[in-house]
Amino acid sequence: MSASPILLAIQARLRIAGYSDLSTPFKLAGVDFAFTAAMRGRDGRALDLVLLVDTTTGDFGDRDGARVRQRIEALSRALDVTGSRYVVTVILAGAVLSDGVEALSETCRVLQVEAVSLDAEGKPVDEAAERQLDDRIRVLLPLKLPVASAEPETGVGPALDQLVRALPADTSKALVDAALAAAEGGEQAVTDAVALIITQSFQPEGEEEPS
Amino acid sequence: MTERILKSLDITNFRSIRGHIHAPLDAKVVLLHGENGAGKTSVLSAIELALTGKVQSLERADPGYEKQLLYRSATEGSVILQTLCGTQEEGYQAVLTADGAQSIHALDKELATFFRERAFLPQSLLGQLLQIYQDAGSDAASPLAQFVGKLLGLDRLDALEAGLKPLVDVRNVRKSVDGWLAAENEKSRVEALLSDHRKNHDALDGEVKLAIDELVRICASLELPIKVAEDNLEDVAAALADSADADAFAHLSDQQRRLAAIRREIDSAQVATGENPGVAAIGADEASKRYALWEAEFGERFATARQRAEGLLVDVSLPSDPSQFADEALERLRSEQKQLGDRVSQARSDIERHTKAQDERDVANRQRETIDEEVGRLSASAGSLASTLAELTSFIDGEVCPVCDRDFDEVEGGTLSEHVHGKVRILSASAERLLTLGRTRSEAQVTIERLDREIEAIGSRKLTDEAIADLDRRLSAAGSVIAELEGLLDALREGTNLRAADVAARRAVTDAQSRHVSLAASRETLSAFAISIDADAIAEGETFHAAASRLEQMLAASAERLEGRLALRRRGNDHLAVARSAIARREQAKTRISADAAAWQRAEDALGRAQLLRDQGIAIRNAVDKVRSGIIRREFNERLNLLWRDLFVRLAPGEPFVPAFRIPAASTQKLQPKLITQHRDGGEAGGTPGAMLSAGNLNTAALTLFTALHLSVPKELPWLILDDPVQSMDDVHIAHFAALLRTLSKEHGRQIMIAVHDRQLFEYLKLELSPAFQDDSLLTLELSRGPRRDSVCVARRFSFKEETALRAAA
Repeated sequence: MSASPILLAIQARLRIAGYSDLSTPFKLAGVDFAFTAAMRGRDGRALDLVLLVDTTTGDFGDRDGARVRQRIEALSRALDVTGSRYVVTVILAGAVLSDGVEALSETCRVLQVEAVSLDAEGKPVDEAAERQLDDRIRVLLPLKLPVASAEPETGVGPALDQLVRALPADTSKALVDAALAAAEGGEQAVTDAVALIITQSFQPEGEEEPS
Repeated sequence: MTERILKSLDITNFRSIRGHIHAPLDAKVVLLHGENGAGKTSVLSAIELALTGKVQSLERADPGYEKQLLYRSATEGSVILQTLCGTQEEGYQAVLTADGAQSIHALDKELATFFRERAFLPQSLLGQLLQIYQDAGSDAASPLAQFVGKLLGLDRLDALEAGLKPLVDVRNVRKSVDGWLAAENEKSRVEALLSDHRKNHDALDGEVKLAIDELVRICASLELPIKVAEDNLEDVAAALADSADADAFAHLSDQQRRLAAIRREIDSAQVATGENPGVAAIGADEASKRYALWEAEFGERFATARQRAEGLLVDVSLPSDPSQFADEALERLRSEQKQLGDRVSQARSDIERHTKAQDERDVANRQRETIDEEVGRLSASAGSLASTLAELTSFIDGEVCPVCDRDFDEVEGGTLSEHVHGKVRILSASAERLLTLGRTRSEAQVTIERLDREIEAIGSRKLTDEAIADLDRRLSAAGSVIAELEGLLDALREGTNLRAADVAARRAVTDAQSRHVSLAASRETLSAFAISIDADAIAEGETFHAAASRLEQMLAASAERLEGRLALRRRGNDHLAVARSAIARREQAKTRISADAAAWQRAEDALGRAQLLRDQGIAIRNAVDKVRSGIIRREFNERLNLLWRDLFVRLAPGEPFVPAFRIPAASTQKLQPKLITQHRDGGEAGGTPGAMLSAGNLNTAALTLFTALHLSVPKELPWLILDDPVQSMDDVHIAHFAALLRTLSKEHGRQIMIAVHDRQLFEYLKLELSPAFQDDSLLTLELSRGPRRDSVCVARRFSFKEETALRAAA
């Protein structure tokens, strides 16, 4: 069986992501289901059942939207019947099927992988192509969290605390306190509070400020 | 590392939860389902309240929300949340009263902030997220800016930044700080005053110097051995005030006066001696001789006459000059003579009249006595009896008396009627006589009284006979003296003249004698005076005039010199006064300068303090800017964009445009995150998400933004609590979203709690989020409540079951 390059590329990507091939056809509730390719995840994704449909060159009626739908709906029914908790994802690789895909999404997750530039061995020609491929099936791929850069200690915590830390040490505490307390009341409140503090500074030093 | 998970929640009478419910939460995924109004949001809010002590979304909607937290008809309630960290349990609690909520134990501030910002997505925040996309705009008031601000606590920073902005421009500072302008004005006012005072001070200083220089010059001219300086003006004053010159000058003036007096004396003496002094003496001798002759001739007679005259005129002092004496004595004697004559004749006529008046009085007395006698004879009732008898005559008839009934015939003579008529006649005549007598008597009486008074008056002034004789003697003496004096009159006149000539001659002689003596004395005096003023004595042959002129010139030269010195001293004193007054004013200026300098210093200090505060305010603002920029840079960086893109693409694989934050490059301007969309395959679309994305994808964008913000920082709290986040998503997106949640839960260790109201979605998520491995777990909570019963929460726990349905086909 000669699979199209795009299908191979998807399979390769999913294998990297921890999916393993299922042999097709496979039997579910006593019924044989034949797909161009099927994969399932492991661990957290152990319930992910990925079906690949080659809409360009695939067998088993892959090129016919209606037949694809029929097969998938049948599988879905079989899963329901067995009380299985598998979650089905269908990847339509290649040209867009004219009809039935929208209806398909009611029963399972549907992903489409269209023209991605591939080389002869079925690998994406460049990073952009690789990303294009990833984007299409990203929901199946593990989420890579960017490594949190080593932020300096001052970069965390509530904003106002950071602010207080960022102030010069000799800043008047009364001023800071008044300004921060007024910050909740908005811009004018801050202006007023600061103006009050400055106005008070015009009082001769050592004089008791009227409270 | 064991992570903290939510374990269980107990809610009593909180918001729409009536009564008490207990909800276990210790599963990797908690699905919360309930119809609208069943209390899903209340459950999630309860978690927030227990953990942070407040409910932020409600607080934003209504600052007084705390009063609404308790279930409407309940009196008290509570929210208790248990968390589990390994085996360590921790409880967070808040109690509710009608007045509000009181937190018993909550997360610390930073974790609470993290929870609010990153772990809990209430519907209100999601709504706000959606609004962000619909309302394009990148200014500070845009919804995005507000959202970002609130989410990251930037709103306060913004308020600080904007509120402190007036401090940057001093004009705004003047406007907003009441005292600023006043202080500045005060300072510049005092500065102007100070400069005035200083100028004044310098001018006065110059004045003092000038005066002192002048004083130095004057002291040198006066040859005063004193150093002139500002600090010994007293000594200079004493030196200037030295009275030696003045005394000398006074002495000199005195000498000049004396010289002048001497000259006057000499002049007058010279004038007097210019006439013939001998003539007067000869005249005097002649006059004296003549007078003596006259004295010998008339002196005795004159003395006698004088004595007699003085004897007569006792109370008058008479002049000694013979002629004047004669005149006056004659005049007086003549009047005396006349007076005496009058008195004598008066006395004589009085005596005569007295006698005569006495006679007249005797006559009048006799006359009166006669009248009285006659009146005594006449009956006083004669008149009335006569009238009665006259009436009675009409009753007489015959001779019988109507009164006594006697017959008149018995009596001899006439008839009764005739008798009565005769009687009546007699009686009437008597009455008439009586009247006449009365009148005459009163006349006589008047006469008597007049005479009595006259006699009395004369008696009182009547002189005795001796007195009259004396008067007569004096009268004759006066007459003889007058005659004597009249005879002497011419001689007396001459005597007077002689006597006057004699006196004048004697006086002339005396004058001439005294003049001669004074001229000699004057020469002596002048000579002595010349010696006394250290000049040469008057040489023999030197005239008075020449000597006096010589002395005068000498004195004048001396005077001129002294006057010069005195003028110098006066000028010195003037300058001294000028210097003193200038110094005094300079002192005043100094005092004012120091006072104003103190005021200036105070104003400067106050301004300095205010300026320091202003600088600090600006520093705060800069720090705000920095912190804000830091936060924005930290949050809205490429990492966030990448993560967001990843998440967004997961949920919307068919959407060619992805939202992103444009990261401002410049740090100078106020950093504002700006939303843009990028084409997924590179290149910037340029539109805002609101313009480029469908409603569903906007929801997705909002949801993924929140998730990205949650994931982009270290997971301090591994919880993701979402309140009905899929409201306008279609099935495709929901499926992808479910996959995302699964990924987060199962690959990234997040404890997911999600509330949905859609039953189908609930079932779908229940399936999608089913436990996939051994330790995986899922809890579903179904909330319901009825109008008359307490809220009910039904919890079901799903655990992992090996999936056996799938078999490879044989």
